[in-house]
Amino acid sequence: MTDWVILLQNLANGVLMGGVYALVGVGLTLVFGVMRTINFAHGDFVVLGMYAAVLFNALLGFDPYLSLVIAVPVGFLTGMLVERLVLARIVDAPPESALLATLGISLIIGNAILLTVGGEPRSVQVAYASTTISIGGVHVSMVLLVAGAATVAAIAGLYALLHRTEIGRAIRATAENRLGAELVGIDTRAIHAIVFGLGTMLAVVAGVTLIPLLFATPTNMGAVFTLKAFVVTVLGGLGSVGAAIAGGIVLGVVEVLGASYLASEYREAYGLAAFLLILLFRPEGLFGRTVKRV
Amino acid sequence: MTTHLVGLGVLVVVGAVYPLVFPGALTIAIAVLLFAGWATAWDVLGGWNGQVSLGHASFVGLGAYVVAIGASHGIAPWWALPLAAVAAAVLAYGWGWTTFRLRGPYFSLSTIAVAEILRLIAINEGWLTGGATGVFIATLPEPFGIDLFSRTAQFYLALAFAAGVIATVIVVSRIRFGYQLRAVREDEEAAMAAGLDPTGVKLRAFMLSAALTAVGGGLYGMVLAFIEPHVIFSLLLSVQIALTSIIGGRGTVWGPAVGALILVGAGEAFRTTFAQANLLIYGVLILAVVLFVPRGIVGELVRRHVRRRYARRAQS
Amino acid sequence: MRDVLRAEEVTVRFGGVTAVKAVSLALGAGEILGLIGPNGAGKTTLFNAITGFAPMQAGRVTLEGRDVGTLPAFARTRLGFGRTFQTERPFEELTVLENVLVPAFLTEPRRREAERLALAVLGEVGLADRHDQPAADLNLARRRRLELAKALAVTPKVLFLDEIMAGLNPPALREMIALVRRLAERGLAVLMVEHIMQAVVELSDHVVVLASGETIAEGAPCDVMANERVIEAYLGTD
Repeated sequence: MTDWVILLQNLANGVLMGGVYALVGVGLTLVFGVMRTINFAHGDFVVLGMYAAVLFNALLGFDPYLSLVIAVPVGFLTGMLVERLVLARIVDAPPESALLATLGISLIIGNAILLTVGGEPRSVQVAYASTTISIGGVHVSMVLLVAGAATVAAIAGLYALLHRTEIGRAIRATAENRLGAELVGIDTRAIHAIVFGLGTMLAVVAGVTLIPLLFATPTNMGAVFTLKAFVVTVLGGLGSVGAAIAGGIVLGVVEVLGASYLASEYREAYGLAAFLLILLFRPEGLFGRTVKRV
Repeated sequence: MTTHLVGLGVLVVVGAVYPLVFPGALTIAIAVLLFAGWATAWDVLGGWNGQVSLGHASFVGLGAYVVAIGASHGIAPWWALPLAAVAAAVLAYGWGWTTFRLRGPYFSLSTIAVAEILRLIAINEGWLTGGATGVFIATLPEPFGIDLFSRTAQFYLALAFAAGVIATVIVVSRIRFGYQLRAVREDEEAAMAAGLDPTGVKLRAFMLSAALTAVGGGLYGMVLAFIEPHVIFSLLLSVQIALTSIIGGRGTVWGPAVGALILVGAGEAFRTTFAQANLLIYGVLILAVVLFVPRGIVGELVRRHVRRRYARRAQS
Repeated sequence: MRDVLRAEEVTVRFGGVTAVKAVSLALGAGEILGLIGPNGAGKTTLFNAITGFAPMQAGRVTLEGRDVGTLPAFARTRLGFGRTFQTERPFEELTVLENVLVPAFLTEPRRREAERLALAVLGEVGLADRHDQPAADLNLARRRRLELAKALAVTPKVLFLDEIMAGLNPPALREMIALVRRLAERGLAVLMVEHIMQAVVELSDHVVVLASGETIAEGAPCDVMANERVIEAYLGTD
């Protein structure tokens, strides 16, 4: 293979991984954009999605993607419940309270899974897991393509919700200015619950989408996903939903290129370093204009 | 002040006789003392100065590695521990200098990222750290014929560490530096109006906190005798240290130590029930604290006490 | 000799908006300068630029002839700027005494001496009997006094007061006016942003009127109050 084919292959891998990262990140971005809450449990909701797919496959023989039918509404309701029971009570507390509360939720979810199903890695075997499509010498994984499609669908759906519906208008108004939204009669408490429900739902969708690709483990994995989601959010621009795609792709490409051309064992570190640099020097993100946009 | 000194006295006296009374329960006591020391050291930055770090495992790891690598080169722990403290302070200086422009939760996020990068370095730079498999401490010197691998000796070292860190905080809480820490925590602009350089104050807090944590890390290294980078540098250890302090009561002298007693104790009590899921307790308790007692257990008691005392005086 | 504080041609811009346009003022020891103007005139912005809490795009600030215009706020404090904030900003979790200890430690690093200084300042503003009260529990008038005490405890040469009289009831207002007068008599240079005209007229040796970021009048209080442009600026032109 010539150098540029390798480069193309790397870029394709990076972009596809980026699609997955974007899917993991978009829910966190939405929650942050509207609620200013740093949701530490986001990655654990992703893991919960993975286990949901494992469970439905084991019990009902569902294809992972079919389990979305149940996982999506359950994820949405779980998120709303968590918001109502926990976050709504500390909406006026200092911002780190929400970080600590969601950190607590994260520990509870991870360890509850560990207690109920044990620590051994689980996955769902599907026939198409190792299928690849070849385009001009560049191999593309089927599962990653599906994940990429899921990302695009999820974000397009979210975009349509935010920009084409009444509730979306209310969400954007709440993000822009909570007090102002209250003054024009928007129930921002309900909006917060809906937004957290959506964020959780997106995390669960990401988890289900990823299960053919990854083994689920209860405790550490959530933190890893949360971290990735933060990186995506910060790279794209804090609170900008569309930019989550860009953030995810940047992260995927940075990691893949760093791993191939620098030292592969530092793959994770490249994304983290990019994250730190953006946080320090361009907190509005690579693509965000202001911190407030959704 | 006198209350704190009495408390410190009680800790030292109880500690001194503990190995004679409970010779079979030294390991758990060492864990309590190490966590008490770490959480108290964390609190210098996280509680007194209000900068919540989720990366303190880096300093635990640094301390453990300096002692372990030192031991393999014939450097005794009593030289390696101060060296670890200095190295941690230097690391904290560079770390804080880069990230203290971030406030609140953003600073916390950045500490996770820095700590993760440091963990990757520890895992991958085998020439420095023994790589992902870890390093053994095979031999330690025997000062005055004391076996530093014995649990009793390690218990007293851990006791000295915890008591030393708490004593440091008692002093700090009384002197100028302690008030600078709190002023910056409360309001950085108002602190500037009082002539304080907030970044400078935060840097000094971070350096002190890191140095103290690293000393405990060095002792931990001796206790473990085998150091694995993904364990000692883990995000979970950082989270445990921070939550111990926050649950016990940030910005109080005894809160972190009480937190350590409760959390390590509870972890031990529920070990059979929860097995390795004992972090569940941290999750439940931090949630309870955030929702119902935001100042933490000791913080809430102190606040009630202060209010009551003032109300009584105002009446008379 | 009005040379303790000099601000020359101070200009502050936020994005495309010029909030303060080339404003100059000077202040001598024992003198009180009142800075007045309608809401949004740029008073607090000017005040923040001089004390180092807002960036200044052009101009010079000198303290006793020394250029301090590029120093960070805390360094200006150490050289002799004491300021209050329009909305009081006590260190809520500390007691009244501890609040004042923080700035007192600047000149007295040892606790015993710092405490003596802090108590003396608290005596001066009439809060000595409240010294062990949590700052969060103070009422408005006492929070104002605490704010003033914190500014005084840096042992300043220039005292910057940002609407320290606002919202006080008549007796508290009279006390505050008397207090500021005593401080000036002690030799402090005082720059005060103020809306309460009674305080401005009774206290100021000199008044500067700002409107839309520019000086539109200055002089003795009663002359300035009679100035047509000032009346216009306050009441509108139409």
